[in-house]
This record gives sequence, C-alpha cells and structure tokens, in this order.
Amino acid sequence: MSPPEQLSEQDFQRLFAAEAEGRLDTLVDQLLTLEKSGPSPELLASLFREAHTVKGGAAVVGMAQVARVAHALEDLLEEVRRERRGVDASLIDAVLGGIDSIRTLIPLALAGEDHEAQASEAEQRLRGGLQPRGTAAEAAGQPAPPASPSASAASSGTPVSGHDAISRSEAAQPSAASASAPAPPTTSPRGPAVGPAPAAPSAAAPSAAAPERPAPSEPAVIHPGEGGHWSGSEMVQMPVHRVDELVRLIGEASAATLRLGSALLEQLERDPSTVSEYRDLVRSLNELQELALRARMVPVMSLAPRLRRAVRDLARETGKQVRFETRGEDAEIDRGVLDRLADPLLHLVRNAVDHGIEPPEERRTLGKPPEGMVRLHAMQLGSEVIIAVSDDGRGIDVARVREAAGRSDSTAMDMDDESALYLIFRSGLSTATRVTGLSGRGVGLDAVRASLNAVRGRIEVRSDRGQGTEFRIAVPITMATLRCLVVNASGQTYAIPLHSVRAVLMPQPSTTVSGRAMTMFDGRPVPISSLASVLGTGDGCSGPAVVIAGLTRTHALAVDHLVDQRDVVVKGLGELVPRLPAVAGAGVEPDGSILLVLEAAGLIERARRGEMGTHYPSADSVGGVAVEPAGTPHSSLILVVDDALTVRELQRSIFEHAGYRVQVAANGDEALVRMAEERPDLVLTDIQMPVMDGFVLTEKIRSQPALSSVPVIILTSRASDEDRKRGLEAGADGYIVKSGFDQAALLSAVERLLGAPA
Amino acid sequence: MAVEVAPEASTAVGAGQLALLVPVGNDTYALPLERVREVAVEPRLTELPTAPPVVLGIFNLRGEIVPLFDTGRLLGLRPVNEGAYAVLVETEHGIAGLAATEMPLTVRLSESVGRSDLEATTETFLVGDRRLAVALNVAELLSPARISR
Repeated sequence: MSPPEQLSEQDFQRLFAAEAEGRLDTLVDQLLTLEKSGPSPELLASLFREAHTVKGGAAVVGMAQVARVAHALEDLLEEVRRERRGVDASLIDAVLGGIDSIRTLIPLALAGEDHEAQASEAEQRLRGGLQPRGTAAEAAGQPAPPASPSASAASSGTPVSGHDAISRSEAAQPSAASASAPAPPTTSPRGPAVGPAPAAPSAAAPSAAAPERPAPSEPAVIHPGEGGHWSGSEMVQMPVHRVDELVRLIGEASAATLRLGSALLEQLERDPSTVSEYRDLVRSLNELQELALRARMVPVMSLAPRLRRAVRDLARETGKQVRFETRGEDAEIDRGVLDRLADPLLHLVRNAVDHGIEPPEERRTLGKPPEGMVRLHAMQLGSEVIIAVSDDGRGIDVARVREAAGRSDSTAMDMDDESALYLIFRSGLSTATRVTGLSGRGVGLDAVRASLNAVRGRIEVRSDRGQGTEFRIAVPITMATLRCLVVNASGQTYAIPLHSVRAVLMPQPSTTVSGRAMTMFDGRPVPISSLASVLGTGDGCSGPAVVIAGLTRTHALAVDHLVDQRDVVVKGLGELVPRLPAVAGAGVEPDGSILLVLEAAGLIERARRGEMGTHYPSADSVGGVAVEPAGTPHSSLILVVDDALTVRELQRSIFEHAGYRVQVAANGDEALVRMAEERPDLVLTDIQMPVMDGFVLTEKIRSQPALSSVPVIILTSRASDEDRKRGLEAGADGYIVKSGFDQAALLSAVERLLGAPA
Repeated sequence: MAVEVAPEASTAVGAGQLALLVPVGNDTYALPLERVREVAVEPRLTELPTAPPVVLGIFNLRGEIVPLFDTGRLLGLRPVNEGAYAVLVETEHGIAGLAATEMPLTVRLSESVGRSDLEATTETFLVGDRRLAVALNVAELLSPARISR
C-alpha cells in the first residue's frame, strides 16, 4: 500500500478545482468592474494574473485541456493589456464564455471524462475573439470605458440599469450571438451572486432568458454540492430534521438490505452478490444515501454574515478599521458540523479583530494601510473542508507566550517557536497572558480546540510577528461517513480515520531512546507502540506501523496487518457508554459485525501514558514533537514562492517527500520576510504574483549580501524567451516551465543545485 | 452519590404486573415488561477496548449499535463477564442491553414480600415456590453516573 499521507494527483486536481473556482469568481467580479468602470492598468494586470494563475495551476495538475483554454483566455487578456484590443461587450462576453467553459471543463477533467472537443471549441471561440474585429475603430481609438456598458445595452435595446450585474450578461448576449461563433449560455453560474444586483432582470432581453446552466454539463442528478446555483423556483426549503429523518430511514433500509442478503445466503443458499436485483437495490440505496447526505450540506459561507457583523461591531467598539473578506463561497459542509463550527469561528474572528489588528494610527506608523484585514477562506480538500481565519495584524508574540506558559511548565522555555506557538491552545494559559496584558491570543483557544475535537477537526496556527496570524481549521465534510484505514490488531479489526494517518511504515526494528521505543519517520524519531497493547487487547503487533497525528503529536502504532481503506458510516456509541477518548465511534460492516473507529488524539495520549508510566495532566498537553514541519533539521530548506495555493502545496508535497524542509510564501514580499527569518538553501519562485513578482524578488535577493548566494529557480508557466531573458538578467540560476515540468525533472533540477537531501 | 432518576422511574414492577425474570448467576431480577423491548440470544459482541469493565461490549441490533452491560457489576455484585442473553431495555438515554446468564421468562408477579435494600432495586417478590426476584429500577441502574463510577 502506498503511504496515504501523500496527496494523490486527484487530490491536487480537487485542490486546484477549489482554488480555480475562487479565481474564476474573482475574474468575473473584475470583468464586471472592467465593464462598469473601464480599464485601468492595475485591473488589467490583475485580470491577466488570475487567468495566468489558473492556467499554471491547470498545467501543474495535469489538466491540459483546461490549461489550453485558460491560456487562450490569458492571451486574449494580454491583447487587452497591450491595448491591441479594446474593451467592449463582445470582449467581456468572450472572456465570460471562456470562464464558463473552464468551469464546465474542470469537473469533466476531475471525473476523467473526455472533454477534448469542448476544450477545442472553447479555445477556438476565444482565439476567434483575438481576431481583430472592427480593428480600426477599436485598436486606434482609446477604449472609451464608460461607453462600453451602454454600448452593449444599446445593441440589444436595453435601458442601462446602473451597476446591474444581471442585466450585463443578459444584455450582452445578443451581441455575442452576432459575433463569429455562438457563445455558450454565458451567464455565470454564480452570476446572481456577483455584485449587488438589486434591479430585476430587464424585461427587454427575451433571448437571454435562456437556461442558466450550460446544457451539456447538466448532470443527470442535481447535486447541490457541485457548484450549481439555480434560481429560487428550483429550490425547496425543508426543515433539517426532515432531512435527518430521511438519512436515518435510508440507514435502516440499508441495514434491512444487509439482513436480506444474509437471508438469501442462509435460507436460499444464494450468494447475494450474484443476484442482480439485490445488487441493484444495494446500489440504489448507496446513491440514495449519498444524495441524502448531500442534502444536509450548506455553504460554509452561510456563517459569513454573522461573522461579518461581529467584525464590524467589534471594530467599531475598539476604534479599529477592519475589512472582512471571504473566499471560497462554494465550499460546502454538513450542517451539523457547521453548526458546531459557528462558535469557534466567531471566537477566532473576534480574536483577530480584538488582538490581531492594530489601531489605525499604529498601523500607519508601521507602514501598513490603516484598514486591517480579516479573511475567512473556505476550501474543500478531499473529504475535508479547510477553513482559514487570517488577519494582517501584529501576529502572536511567541516569546511572551512561552514566558506565560513557562510559569507553569518549565519545558516551555526550551521549545522551538513552532511548538511554543501551540501553547496558546493550552487551557489556563489565557488567564496568565491576560494578567500581563499581552495580546492574549490564548483567551479561550483551548475551548476552540475542544469544540473542534468534537467534530473531529484539527487546528493549526501560523503567525508572523508584525505580519499577521492565520488559524487553519480542518474538519471532515460530514460526520456521517469517514474515510478510514482499516487495520487488524490481535485478531480485531479497527478503523483509523484517514485524516489522522500520516503514513504507513513497513515493519522495521525500533530503537530505544530514554526508555521509549522510537522509529524513524520523515527523518525524525517518532515514538512507536503496539496498537493492541495501547488498547489493552493484546501484546506486541509485528506488522506495519501506522503513523498517526493528533493535534500536536505524532505517534506510530504497530498493527498486525493492514486490511483496506474504506468509507465508514460512523455511529456514536450512545449516551450510556462513557466517553472513550481513544474510540470515536463504530460502524456496522456488511456482514453485520461492528468495526470500531479509533481516535488519533486519544490513542496517542494512551500510548504516551503507557510508555512513560505517568499520567499527563491535560488531555494532550502541547509541545514536544510538532507535526509540522517534516524533514530533519539538517536537510536543506527550500522556499517555495507562488501565489497559487495548488502549486505551493504540490511543491511542498514533492519536496517534503524527497526529504527537504519546505517553507512557502505567497508573493515576493512574503518571501523576503521568510528569508529574513531563516535563510533558505534554495528559492523556487513563480513570476506572476501580486505585491511583488518573481523578477523583483530575484533582484532583491541578489542585491542583499546575506542572501545573494542563495540559488533561485524561476518556475513559470510562461515560456516566452523575453521572460527567460529577464529572469536570467535578474539573477536567476534556473528557469523551469511549469507546463513542461514533472516531479522528477523538478527534483533533479533542485538536486543539481543543492545535492540530495540530508 | 448523584444518581439521575428519570420521571419514568415510577414505572416499577408491582404486584399483579407482568415482569420479565432475568437470571444473573444465582440471582433473579425482575424488570417491568413495558421497559423491555426484546431479548437477544447470544448477541455477537464486539469488545470495547478502554471501556470500564461494566461495558461487556457492543453489538449490532438491526443496524443499531447497542451496548451490553454487566448486570452483576452494575448492581455492585459479582461480575457476570458474559452475555449469553441480552435483555434490551429502553432508557431515557437510549436502548441498552442487560446481560442475563439464562433465558429470561415472563411471569405475573404476586404480592411483594418486602423492600430490597440493594442499590438500584425496589422490592422483592416471591416467584414460583421459593425463588425470590428483586425488581430493578432501570432508570437508576442504567444511569450514566452509575455506569462510569
């Protein structure tokens, strides 16, 4: 079995899909601004950059067709940026059409369906948009921005209705139709949600009353979770308990089906899997169950208004200026999970405003914009939703956290910054920090962590002094099913939730360090115990070891053998069974037996108590072995700079796997901050990035004596000679084109400069 | 000891009522029949590691996961340590199994022969010629506080 902790190509594709969704939304938003307010260099650069990033991401995750369409889109925008093409309704239509095509293509690519024809068609349509149409008028004359909306409106005889987002696409439709190729229905699926659209759709655009969703991609079954937004008439509202009842009944029907299966076998001696009626029934029930579970899904951002309000109120109260941003409107999550996240998120957001963001005067002195930013970003990643609450405030003072914790725990003083940062989740720390009047991030964070534990979530924190703080919450999309690794120990099978599994290690001798058995994982020692002895069901297990991670600790558990990976419908053990920290629940197997689902944090705690022979005061006291970062302290540090999350995480995964340590930054500016903290051994940077691009970053690195010898590789999806030349002029040591890179080529390029990882 | 007593605790067995006789080792207990859902014979138990010994395990009752409790330990007496029969009772905290060592039978109770001073029980009844059955107070017996003590 391959180590499950490495994200698969599909995971990256999904990550990309989630990221692209956000970027495409931004593109639509900006296009509407472009149409409304006319072009500005910043706006055009930003449009170009978004398209460019989508292209790069698509190429990296192997969605070649999507990359081609995005490339055509990028070229079209490049034409506009270079003022070879004016901004008019037909251009906006063409770009929107391209965006819609990408939205249609990504799910097809994810599903592995053939989408070459659609991609070619979309590409041609966009390339068609490159051909000069009415060249003389457009190319020669400066684009007259404010005229464009009215021009488009005029062409369909629609009265201009201010900044009405809906009337735009509707009004623009006929002009697109009159262009060379008939555009697909271009109304973005998110159309109505973009921008304020108070006015009713103009009545005078009957042709635009076409179906909102592109017909070819219409799925047979409407999945609310698949990014579809439809008009009110297609929605029904129903009370949650009715959905729950549905889910429960389907569960009972499934259980009855299992009994039917055993009756077939026992009484009629027919193997149910050979009875097609039985198979049909099982399949339909499975689909039904999935649909019913989906019906419980709600957008994460349904919490946004509440949080926005909290930010506003608290900002007013504290005299701060705070902008609240949201991203990832499409990420959905089980309602039950989201309900339990409301309080922790509210807490984090309030903390960000109260303790993170500085007062406007202070920000001005620091050279920051007076208005602070608090951002809520949600993203689906596999079977989890990642929700990040970040701010650009003062960050957490790790030294003072350490000091506060050190009063009750002498080990705090010896912790590295990363471990010490996690001390903020300790209960009791909050009071200490409050008394000393420090920024008090600790207040109630232990409660946040406890709430997350209840929904099997994890929390991570990153903070940069003066730059801001980010809390990242990872929770399962639904509590109902859980992807698990099934193992056997002492004759009993157990399911370990995959989200807490970091790796599976083949049987290997362990060493003893100060009385504890340790094994090596990712170049560092990790304590190892036998699962059977941790659970008290048997003695040593001789098979592979599963490396699990709790909130703060990693531990390897030897098992007898691995069984498989599967989705387990997890049920609780009922109110009467006392809470067992090491057992999360149980699932019923097809043969009617029970599969126990284990809980990483509880297991680790038990294992440590067993090994150390001591009782730890808090459930999982923080510190010691931190989960991140991987890699040995001696291995080379690579700084990955890219504004695309997909690319960053992909590269992080590739390099960490190869044994390097990895740090990431989203732009050149951030990269310089990271480099000031720790000098990397190599920098791998994208070109197109907001704030500070890769060329400028390279120049800055070369101009600083302390950094000038750090090798810089430019990684970009632009293969133009001009760029290559500029990159090398700026002082880059290498230049890799994203669309052409594969993991091996990238690693060998890095190894050439650094040598193999320690 | 803080014991949660449910309002239904009053549904205790009394004379003239139908009760289920639950053999546990050498003793016999009586349960009000309206509290009993069914009796499972030799349920397929899955041990619940790390749970207190009063939890004998959990089993699958038509898709529902039900815990089986050691009736002897719950009463503070000799452990049963086995679950040949599981008497499924409804409690305000959900359904639970009480372990019995022999097949439980239904009887109509005669007059009470006196109060029982055993924990979580109410009265003692004479069943048959010389057998005594102690009526259980289900709400008290299967309270989370008692189970996790």
